[in-house]
Amino acid sequence: MARPLAPAAGNLADESRPARRAFRIGAGPLFILPTMALLAILILYPVVSTVILSFTDAAGRYVGGDNYAAAFRSSSTIRVIFNTIYYVAGSVILQLVIGVAAGILLNQKFRGRAMVRSLMLIPWVIPGIVAAMTWAWMFHTDYGIVNYALVSLGIIDQPVGWLTNPSTVMPALIAVNAWKMFPFVAVMVLAGLQSVPEELYEAARVDGAQFRHEVWHIMLPQLRPVLVAITLLLVIWGLDGITIIYSMTGGGPAGRSMIFPIQIYAMAFEFFEFNRAAALSVVYFLLIVGLIALYLRAFAPQEND
Amino acid sequence: MALKTTGARSWIYLPLAILLTVSLFPFLWMATSSFKPLRQLYAVPPSWLPDPATFANFEKVIFNSNIPRYFLNSTIISLGSTALALCFAIFAAYGFARFRFRGKILAQSFVLIGQMLPTATIIVPLYFVLSYFGLINTYLGLILVYLILTLPLSVWMLTSYFKGIPRELEEAAIIDGASRLTILFRINLPLIIPGIVAVVLYSFVATWNEFVFALSFATDRSMKTLPIGLAEFSSEFDTDWGAVMAASFIMTLPIAIIFLALQRLFVGGVMSGATKG
Repeated sequence: MARPLAPAAGNLADESRPARRAFRIGAGPLFILPTMALLAILILYPVVSTVILSFTDAAGRYVGGDNYAAAFRSSSTIRVIFNTIYYVAGSVILQLVIGVAAGILLNQKFRGRAMVRSLMLIPWVIPGIVAAMTWAWMFHTDYGIVNYALVSLGIIDQPVGWLTNPSTVMPALIAVNAWKMFPFVAVMVLAGLQSVPEELYEAARVDGAQFRHEVWHIMLPQLRPVLVAITLLLVIWGLDGITIIYSMTGGGPAGRSMIFPIQIYAMAFEFFEFNRAAALSVVYFLLIVGLIALYLRAFAPQEND
Repeated sequence: MALKTTGARSWIYLPLAILLTVSLFPFLWMATSSFKPLRQLYAVPPSWLPDPATFANFEKVIFNSNIPRYFLNSTIISLGSTALALCFAIFAAYGFARFRFRGKILAQSFVLIGQMLPTATIIVPLYFVLSYFGLINTYLGLILVYLILTLPLSVWMLTSYFKGIPRELEEAAIIDGASRLTILFRINLPLIIPGIVAVVLYSFVATWNEFVFALSFATDRSMKTLPIGLAEFSSEFDTDWGAVMAASFIMTLPIAIIFLALQRLFVGGVMSGATKG
């Protein structure tokens, strides 16, 4: 990250003028200071404050791990952890599978390719709340187009209450989230495929490789670094995603689609249990850090070669 | 940009058709639904195109709901936070790109973590801070809080743009005795205008779509932003889906136009630095 300075550059006229050198050393921090101060107030302070709040009660008295104990005694917390992991894992896997397939597809030659590439971006471009509202309408039990299509095609016998049925609500929400984000994966895959040397394909064809061989033995291995990087981003975005679920189901039915961010919000601003909300925040934060650490441990070493 | 491909194939049109249908259909369905009269929205089997097309849903949204107010709130807050972030980020990014100093890696890591931090984890203390300063349900409150989204993003993206400017350009000016600020504003800024445009658009879109902070800190009807307004719109109107689709359509238009017009810029920006979803 630190850009090695060329010996001459940046040291111009400094050697003989100590005052100038002092200015040079001091200027960098001065430039970043206002931003860092703001971020300290807006991010660092709230993070520290969350930890403190999680160990105190409403009057500010230290209560040890009571808030955490209360959180884990409630069965809803365990379900929230399960739901969050289910939602994020399901979304990320679907996003990657569809996104990679779309990226490879759009890397082929065909007429109107630029147009198709632009149109494919639409799900990613439209605001999350709009995607949520549109799909909520499409998933409507009686008048939704999804039920109409599936019943007409004979795939289901009668309309399904996608967002009100406990067993379909999470898959439906995961599908919406995957639909929303797969174009991002596709764009990154397309970019990654641009850097695959043409010789690899030519060599493979000389050996009689079919398209599927090219995908499996050339494209996917070459895309690995890109996929490793964007998976991490997708996980973080998935964990941060509240818009779709909050606006489509509000965490229901009966908490079946309740995930961490909504639970924290509800605990704080619906039940006014600020300290328990803080404890949940810390648990959530540790869950995220744990997932990221696991991920980096599994994939980071290969990135170095 | 010349794109490498791997030869034309004929089977490709079926998966392409599926891909296009999946990508486009929901958007088209939203658009057509917003122009449908009530009886057509609730018709089985559904009619594909509005017949006759009506603006009744849009009229309801524009003249008979709070959506225009939410639109105004969102615009003020997004523009405010984007502009404020840009002012700070230009200096910080320049500092990161051009100087070597103790603690730089630490500071950069902090910016990166700030960009990654899930916003829901800090809503409780932020609420207390905003209450303390009387900033709940104010434009300034949300503008400041949205810096959490826009500032790390802007710093990160602008740093890479500044690094792309050859150092030699500055050296000539240094020899001429120009101050650092002169160099930043006269030499560097004009060269990173594409970067600034990209940052502005990204920040605007990120704040335009933000949900958690708006939900927590702007609870008054007069201060809500579009995403929250839209989410509550359904219950407010006893789920008048025609109106909800019309409001969705209105909210999408500015973003869709920006994206399609500047697609290359956006896609390029995504590759140079990741953004908060």
